[in-house]
Amino acid sequence: MTIDEHKEFAVQSSSLKEIRSFAREVLTKDPVFQNSMDDVVLALAEAAQNIVKHAYSGQPTGDTMKVDIKFNGKQLIIELFDKGSPAIPQNIKPRKLDDIKAGGLGTFFIGQIMDEVIFKTAATDWVNHLVLKKNY
Amino acid sequence: MSYKITEEGNVATVHLDGEIDMDVTEKAKEVIMPLIESGKEVHLNLKEVQYMDSSGISVLIESHQKAAELGTKVILKEISKSVLKVIMMAKLEQILIIE
Repeated sequence: MTIDEHKEFAVQSSSLKEIRSFAREVLTKDPVFQNSMDDVVLALAEAAQNIVKHAYSGQPTGDTMKVDIKFNGKQLIIELFDKGSPAIPQNIKPRKLDDIKAGGLGTFFIGQIMDEVIFKTAATDWVNHLVLKKNY
Repeated sequence: MSYKITEEGNVATVHLDGEIDMDVTEKAKEVIMPLIESGKEVHLNLKEVQYMDSSGISVLIESHQKAAELGTKVILKEISKSVLKVIMMAKLEQILIIE
């Protein structure tokens, strides 16, 4: 089956639970996600958390972020759009595994779970555009 | 997230419940850190934690490090399957104390 759904959420930490619920609701539609759903939800939630924490420095604003979830039967594509500070991809590094500290883990999880992570400059009204891909 | 604390001698057990993400990490730290700072051995029971993200894992790391600094321990007990998976993804099962 194919999936093409999107939803906007307030940029704030309390939205993370709603984002996870939205993702679970969408991914439940196809049994192909049964075994990877928790991982994919974690990756999406980590990306959304990075928007709240880094693009907006944890400061609440009236802004929203948009989450798109698409599936064409073979590849899951999750896109996140925000209007926060422009991300500098070369500064976004996962934690080194032997470096035991709090921080950088979210990016590490995203890289572990997804097959492709692409940072784009949004072509529309948004500022940042993150694309997460996973093959099935 | 909700929690319950029981104390017996020098051991404080914190039963955490629910989902632990960025939205509740400060609350989790407010519960756990004073127990560690009081010198108690802290047991975190994670049986009822259905979801934990990197922010929650950070609380576990910070708690573990604070306890080591103060000469005590944080022991993770009855970890739920989903939380254990995230701990293992972070390759922390050899660092954190798990029973």
